[in-house]
Amino acid sequence: MQALHYKISTMKKYNTQELLETLEQQTESLLNLAVQQWQMMNPSIIKQQPTPGAWSAMQCLGHLNAYGKYYLPAIEKAIDIARIKSKPVNTTFTPGWLGNYFTKLMLPSQNNGSIKKMKAPKDYTISNEGNSDEVLAEFIAQQEKLLVLLHQSRRIDLNKTRIPVSIAKFIKLKLGDVFMFLIAHNIRHIQQAERAIAAAKASVSKTKKLAVYS
Amino acid sequence: MKKFMFQVHTLADEEWDDFVLIWKPYEAKRKTMLTKAGETERYLYFVLDGVQRGFYAHDDGREATIVFSYPFSFSGIADSFLTQLPSRFFLETLTASSFLRAEYKQFNNLMLRYPNFQTAVFKILSFIFAGVLERQIELQCFSAEEKFKTLLKRSPHVLNLIPHKYLASYLGIDATNFSKLLGSVRL
Repeated sequence: MQALHYKISTMKKYNTQELLETLEQQTESLLNLAVQQWQMMNPSIIKQQPTPGAWSAMQCLGHLNAYGKYYLPAIEKAIDIARIKSKPVNTTFTPGWLGNYFTKLMLPSQNNGSIKKMKAPKDYTISNEGNSDEVLAEFIAQQEKLLVLLHQSRRIDLNKTRIPVSIAKFIKLKLGDVFMFLIAHNIRHIQQAERAIAAAKASVSKTKKLAVYS
Repeated sequence: MKKFMFQVHTLADEEWDDFVLIWKPYEAKRKTMLTKAGETERYLYFVLDGVQRGFYAHDDGREATIVFSYPFSFSGIADSFLTQLPSRFFLETLTASSFLRAEYKQFNNLMLRYPNFQTAVFKILSFIFAGVLERQIELQCFSAEEKFKTLLKRSPHVLNLIPHKYLASYLGIDATNFSKLLGSVRL
């Protein structure tokens, strides 16, 4: 049963335009959150760790930025090459088995609603020091870039264009897979950042109440 | 649009009816380049929704944000549109945007046909020109703090509408300085 489910899910095809539209909308909503709410938030909230050692919102964003720093230029380069070659566009996209595995790993909804905890590679773990505005500005700039790249990808084949994986460059994933897991990864850690912010706000109001009663 | 136009100058019914005919709806997603440097501006836009940015890109990679546009006002690279010479500026959307837009030829035909329409355009351009000169004062004389305060007073809503990088670029102050100034108004 489990095996059958796996087989069906890996065989799933996507309409390329619809897939890109969904990914654009997801990126758009992360951008709106960052621009409309987080930009005006006090840095002390953005930098507060929910429990000692757990990531603050800033660390979540920094982690995403570290991946974006590798993947966005890699995607841009692949798109440029694909455009020069000008191969026909494929109206459907079929995830590869590895890409599909990565994407599923990222999405809470795919794991019975629970989040599979993972440990980030050392190079992608950032400290809670530094200016949170800079980290947020970098995040916004990267998401804007990602939108432009998604838009440009409408004219190339998401199946045949391939990108080397950040942690193992000899493995190449389909561009469509890279978009899917990158954005699923973004959503995962933005949700984590939102929880960190909610915890920080709750602890602030608690402190304020204590101050009133003492 | 009628309200926006008529508070500057009233058009006769016939003029207004012809004016309305030249506009077509147009939608663009976030970060769409509407006009590139080197291209000649074909359209005048009237913004119904969203924020746009006109900017100059220097050879060394630095950008200068010249203007923002939002509802309800005109947008487009004005100098290139009026002169029909290549633009030195880029125009892009900063959020998903919707517009009405008119082509130069049709716009120009109206100007040739109706002297009163020319008067309306002249009046609008006069206000725009006054705005450009006022901004010149701010850019050359104001301290970073004064520029920031002027922005807060004139358009406080932009702080959670536009990425701060572009606001800092518009004011001609660096991002670090901008976030320091922001500290005083944050919750």
